[in-house]
Amino acid sequence: MNIRKIVTYVEVTTAEGGRPVDPAARIAVVAAVIDNPWAGQGFVQDLGPGIDATASDLGKLLAPEVLEALGEPAEAYGKAAIVGLDGEVEHGSALIHTLKFGNHFREAANATTLLPAVEKRGGVGAVFDIPLKHITDATIRSHHQTVEMRVADAPHPDEIVIALAAASRGRPQQRLADLSTEQ
Amino acid sequence: MQEIASHSTAERIALRKLVTYRDVVVTEAGVRPVHPARRASVAAVVRNPWAGREPLADLSEEQGRVAPVLAGILTDHLIAALGGADEIEAFGKAAIVGTAGEIEHAGALIHTPYFGNLVREFLRGESIICFSDARAGAGEDLIVPMWHKTHAATRSHYQTISARVGDAPRADEIVVIAAASTGPRPHPRIGDRTTDRAVTAQNLEDVLS
Repeated sequence: MNIRKIVTYVEVTTAEGGRPVDPAARIAVVAAVIDNPWAGQGFVQDLGPGIDATASDLGKLLAPEVLEALGEPAEAYGKAAIVGLDGEVEHGSALIHTLKFGNHFREAANATTLLPAVEKRGGVGAVFDIPLKHITDATIRSHHQTVEMRVADAPHPDEIVIALAAASRGRPQQRLADLSTEQ
Repeated sequence: MQEIASHSTAERIALRKLVTYRDVVVTEAGVRPVHPARRASVAAVVRNPWAGREPLADLSEEQGRVAPVLAGILTDHLIAALGGADEIEAFGKAAIVGTAGEIEHAGALIHTPYFGNLVREFLRGESIICFSDARAGAGEDLIVPMWHKTHAATRSHYQTISARVGDAPRADEIVVIAAASTGPRPHPRIGDRTTDRAVTAQNLEDVLS
């Protein structure tokens, strides 16, 4: 795996709707810009060897970084794969939709749910929204949220941006009724 | 990597959000840099202190009240993101004013000693701080220039970082940005003033003709 750069993004919301947010809502994203493992190979039927060579190492690299950037226990999380224009969306999905990738984050965050994801193909500097859900109960409505991210000079056509996101709490002024109240 | 300012501070300057963006180049052109640099921008989204005021209002009172607090918050977060003021070798600053404000409002928050002198002091620099500014809508990507904090003409440290907040500035907001780098561009190799040959139109006649 060749990594070109690692980007860390942290946003801290201190006010929303004209009211203070206390404690401040923190969301962190850490993204690695890597060479697409299948670049230049035409249509590769069996993605297994590339997944084995890359996915676990990426998860192991990004999970502690995003939790450190968050600086607080994670309550919600998500992931992303943005494939450069010469690749297939399937290449990004291959790297993040495997337990080899996500288990590093689940274990580090004491999480149990599957990671919600965005996967798409885009040009350099593509903006993408990472969905986040609660780390142990994906039905907890207060924690459904997204974070917007962009790496200014990536992905190149033969690269993939792989990212993990974590949030310290639910939406800043969350005040929707629980799912259970509608059942 | 980021400790938030106290809530009273945040409310005093009508701070809505703080965004830190950091990049670390691992390889460039497939090769690891000899001096890998960590670079970061920190952006604070604040209410434009002059929103709704009469045209050509006097700016001095608010810039003296708001800009020093911004200088403190932004440099605290830059220093935390980059591992210490002594690690920082290059710096820059920027502001994006929302559409209900004047470009002069952006300048008022970054171009006076209330901001510039304090950023320079907190980051232990000596150079004048290079900048960019714009009036724009939310999500505008602004390129923030940086140069060496004590020797501005050091060519290896001429570099930029992009800063962007997806939902800011609103029309009545200003995004104020400080940026810094712990080193030069990944593979600097365009010489310096000390190595340049003398270049004039006359001795370049063969190229220019």
